[in-house]
Amino acid sequence: MINNVSSKIKNISTLQYKEKKFEYWGPTPDEARKSMVEKSHALKDKRVTLKEAVAAHVKDGINLGIGGFVNTRVPVAIIHEIIRHGARDLTLSFQSNSICPELLAGAMILDPDRVSIRRVELAWWGYEIIGIAPLVRYLSTNGIIEMDDYTNYGMSVRFKAASMGIPFIPVRDHGGSDMELVNRGKMIECPFTGKNVYLLPACHPDVGIVHTTAADMYGNARIFGAYCTCPEIAMASTTTIMTAEKVISTDNIRSYPNLTEIPYPVVDTVTEQPYGSYPGASYGYYWFDMDHMKMFRSLCDDFRKTGNKEGLKKYYDEYIFSCDTYDDFLEKVGYKTLKKLKDMDGGQAIILT
Amino acid sequence: MSEYTPFEMIAYTGSRVLEDERIVFVGTGLPIIAAMHAQLTHAPNLYMIYEAGSLAPILEMGMPLSVGDTRAARKACYLKGLCGAFELTQRGCADYAFIGGAQVDMYGNICSTIEGNNYDKPGIRFPGSGGAGAMAANCEKTIAIMALEKRRFVKKLDFVTSIGFGDGSPDYREKAGVLGSGPYRVITNQALFGFDEETRRMTLLEVKPGRTPQEIQDLVDFELIIPPDVKEMAEPTDEDLRLLRDVIDAEGYFLKRVIKK
Repeated sequence: MINNVSSKIKNISTLQYKEKKFEYWGPTPDEARKSMVEKSHALKDKRVTLKEAVAAHVKDGINLGIGGFVNTRVPVAIIHEIIRHGARDLTLSFQSNSICPELLAGAMILDPDRVSIRRVELAWWGYEIIGIAPLVRYLSTNGIIEMDDYTNYGMSVRFKAASMGIPFIPVRDHGGSDMELVNRGKMIECPFTGKNVYLLPACHPDVGIVHTTAADMYGNARIFGAYCTCPEIAMASTTTIMTAEKVISTDNIRSYPNLTEIPYPVVDTVTEQPYGSYPGASYGYYWFDMDHMKMFRSLCDDFRKTGNKEGLKKYYDEYIFSCDTYDDFLEKVGYKTLKKLKDMDGGQAIILT
Repeated sequence: MSEYTPFEMIAYTGSRVLEDERIVFVGTGLPIIAAMHAQLTHAPNLYMIYEAGSLAPILEMGMPLSVGDTRAARKACYLKGLCGAFELTQRGCADYAFIGGAQVDMYGNICSTIEGNNYDKPGIRFPGSGGAGAMAANCEKTIAIMALEKRRFVKKLDFVTSIGFGDGSPDYREKAGVLGSGPYRVITNQALFGFDEETRRMTLLEVKPGRTPQEIQDLVDFELIIPPDVKEMAEPTDEDLRLLRDVIDAEGYFLKRVIKK
């Protein structure tokens, strides 16, 4: 039935690559189902500190699914805590992201015994207007991490398939491009139309990390602005660690249940963390901090160009390792910066009642 | 007529290519600027999809600096996530993909993943497909913005990120399982290209006033189809430049960038 028909035989580029043997890069669909069934599905208070959440769930060797999109609603507070805690041999999965994987990559460059990335399944890793991401360029061109490329739809719908409890999903992209050759999807002949269609395997992270607009103590969450792929990642993951700009009452959730984008059974921990995406943006609360992103990016680029880790080390010492919590980091960023970013959001409409 | 920059020429040409009463799936930077210019001039009923999840926003907070910018969600008609945006596209609601890339070949295939053809240890790693591969597959027509240089208009790509007409065979896209009709225009600051219906090869449509078709061919590593009726590209008027500089990208985030060599 498997019918490799497009670029594989027509060879339109000069690409050279190693064949990958298929395997899921995280829990299999059966394992993910089993872990969900075995969890308590009670409405219980899941509020913990980020330190407790990360210590309980983030282990070496896991597939870490990262929410948000590029600079928007990225789970930076959780990433800081993961770096303090340490996590080696990680597989990262996301569609498009900027500072979250760069922060992990920088931690790996400074101390691979604390944080290390083994491989990444992704669509895009960069800063958009601010520039390319220096550390993925460094790690990839030196052959230090393995890459597995999909489109933004591909990665999103792989999380979606996982959230639906199905092992794969047919899509109308990737085929005929070299992603068909290098990634773990497969071209088949559709049993109904008889035409070629590309299949992508579900992506179940061991741990999904998402930042939401608001959630109750059970993990029922609302997202305003673009959802990105946060609902799908939360529902796909074996364990979901969530930060929310604000914890709201369950009465409010029950008043407008249609607004719940992430339902409580798929959430394991809830932490109220204002500015939890900073220096990324969170719709209705604050815009992204281009200056901070540029500053961090330039330290990474200095390392890439010179091999000198001093600037990077200073950043991590100042903003991550000398901070006990994310609030300590925000205090260093300062009220005036946070207030300016709040003003730049322009008061986009969100519903917390 | 005022002087204009290469970026302004690209944005203006991009705007000209977009028709009214259509939906354009935009990438960051010049595609957003081109679509905003079209909305303000000849295409008031043109709407944008942003891949983070918004359809037909009103950009009253100013130009979004990226496709994930929260500003791009302002007063949208429909606001979901990436799945929502790309599924509308797969269903047939997105008329134009508006993308960029590092290399393009004569059949409109585009690379934005690596330079140097060893996937496992490339010479340069670019950010990756992002939305581009899905947009080129499933928007109805693909418009690409490229810098007109020999090292970018190549005979063979290092990696095909966004599908064009593949190897040029008539059924390549069908066999690839994709839905859109494929490459439509390639925009540079010195020439506008289309694709020949018969051979699916890149064809020179217009050149910047003062340039000759041969000068354009000299900047391209593969053989272009050059028809006898190559036209001159229209140039932005003072009013177009005012819109681009003072209204759309008033802070100069994209149009005032310095070109790196």
